[in-house]
Amino acid sequence: MPKNTFKTRLEIAKNKLLKKKLYQDNQPTSSLGTAFKMSTELVAHVAVGTIIGFILDKTFGTKPWLILIFFFVGVVAGIINVFKSAKNMQK
Amino acid sequence: MATNPMHQFEVYRIGPEIKLGEIDISFTNASLFMVISSIAILLVFNLGTKKNSLIPSKIQLLAELSYTFVSKMISDTAGSKAKPYFSFIFSLFMFVLFCNMFGMIPYTFTVTSHIIVTFMLAAFIFIGVTIIGFMKHGIGYLKLFVPSGVPIVLLPLIVVIEIISYLSRPISLSVRLFANMMAGHTMMKVFGGFVISLGIIGGWLPLSFSVALTGLEILVAFLQAYVFAILTCIYLNDALNLHH
Repeated sequence: MPKNTFKTRLEIAKNKLLKKKLYQDNQPTSSLGTAFKMSTELVAHVAVGTIIGFILDKTFGTKPWLILIFFFVGVVAGIINVFKSAKNMQK
Repeated sequence: MATNPMHQFEVYRIGPEIKLGEIDISFTNASLFMVISSIAILLVFNLGTKKNSLIPSKIQLLAELSYTFVSKMISDTAGSKAKPYFSFIFSLFMFVLFCNMFGMIPYTFTVTSHIIVTFMLAAFIFIGVTIIGFMKHGIGYLKLFVPSGVPIVLLPLIVVIEIISYLSRPISLSVRLFANMMAGHTMMKVFGGFVISLGIIGGWLPLSFSVALTGLEILVAFLQAYVFAILTCIYLNDALNLHH
């Protein structure tokens, strides 16, 4: 039956396309873009942590302490974020 | 000709000084290039969609390609729920792309090399995404800051870290675009200055460098617009489909 063979062939072609698409999805869309993203995010986390510490210090009048604590929290947040991105890339 | 490599980023007034109270809202060269890129976008898409021929002309091809590109990007990263926001992300992408590309023409001004411009765009996205998140999930949107499966002891620290990473979004988004554009343009200008100062004997090396850098800068101009748009999609995805 010619109709049947066409259907099976269509099915095979569709599966192939699906596999190809899945494979493409796994590829990082743009590695250079990811590199830019990670590097700036690491810096931005530290900056935001420091800014929050500075503002809290000003409002509570605990001059050097909160800025120090939040600086390190910012560093931790930045590193955790890079870890998360790296994990997502390996998926 | 100015030899100062930072001279190209200077904002100056064109035409008369206009003041709204204390705020200076005069027309500057930055506003001029924003207007030029907006008009260019409108022109490309008006001409590109005027005649819907089956065999597209070059300009129609450009319009259709960019439409498919952004549409695919949104459906890949943010899913079908993000379709209503297509027009916003599309205009954002085209605006950043055209501003970056216009900056590559000699003697033009790169609007995106000023942090206030990129930060305004990023802050707009950040506030918009936060509003969308609260509208879709109500107060439950705050669950974004509390990841599941974290021991109670660590929870306060994790919440602070999550809040910091949420607040760092507009900063990383704006600094990335601004820093890339400014660094690239400064470097090109510096190498251009080397060509002049080394003269006809030694100037060939920096000249070849300049040519290579121009290619790289065009890549960066496109890539940064792409990254800007794709990160907007990712943030939108977080707001629309709450995972935690």
